[in-house]
Amino acid sequence: MLTEIQEGKALGPVVKHITQEKINLYAEASGDFNPIHVDESFAAKTPFGGTIAHGMLNLAYVSEMMTSAFGESWLSGGKLRAKFKESARPGDTLTITGTIFCIEQKSDVSYANCNFEVRSQKDETIVTGETIVRLSSGKE
Amino acid sequence: MPDKPISYEELTSGYKFAPATYELNASFVSKYLRAVDGSGDGFVPPLAITACAIAAMTKTIPLPPGTIAIHASQELEFFRPVPIGATIDCHIGVAQKIARGKMSMLVLELEILDKDKEKVQSGRATIALPA
Repeated sequence: MLTEIQEGKALGPVVKHITQEKINLYAEASGDFNPIHVDESFAAKTPFGGTIAHGMLNLAYVSEMMTSAFGESWLSGGKLRAKFKESARPGDTLTITGTIFCIEQKSDVSYANCNFEVRSQKDETIVTGETIVRLSSGKE
Repeated sequence: MPDKPISYEELTSGYKFAPATYELNASFVSKYLRAVDGSGDGFVPPLAITACAIAAMTKTIPLPPGTIAIHASQELEFFRPVPIGATIDCHIGVAQKIARGKMSMLVLELEILDKDKEKVQSGRATIALPA
């Protein structure tokens, strides 16, 4: 976890390599077997030209970064807003980073406002978004 | 989830899917952690819970074979950590259905409750589909 929560503090990086095996494992775990993720011959005939990772797999890496930075505060008071910009594909290496851009105080409770980005090794933005984490109140 | 199959045209704003129940047991969490290269911390990863809801939702959206549904955006709010072994109920409804050129956007609202009916997570998913 972060030892100091302050504006400007960097989050991550978390680095993950996407493989078809991981996409298949994710499909099994989540039950989402959409052929665009798991059927290579189907996906090859689509505008994507091949399989793509589940958007929620990419987002899982963002949540990992947030859990590692904020621990239980993320699990019990986290908010996330994400836009999926591009698709991650097998062979991609994703780097997930973020920044605490503002700490707000509302009714004796502090909130850390963060932004995040998931980028590929080709410098494509895969996911962008913002998170808010409710930190402990002054009374706790 | 739905009691009887419905067509995509019947999915209108306000439509509620029948709730889906999941047991988030150790085997599920272990499989999920392997898939995301994660390490456990005693709780169910919050995105594992969302994944169940999203999968339940996408499986029940009636689409013609070969249609590609793309996850365009996601909003989530977490209210409490969920212990491994917990049972959750996923409630999903259609918030909006928007036609935009050759695409249709389906905005779905989800609410996830634990066995005590306490809210553990809520969110909104926007799915883009060919119109």
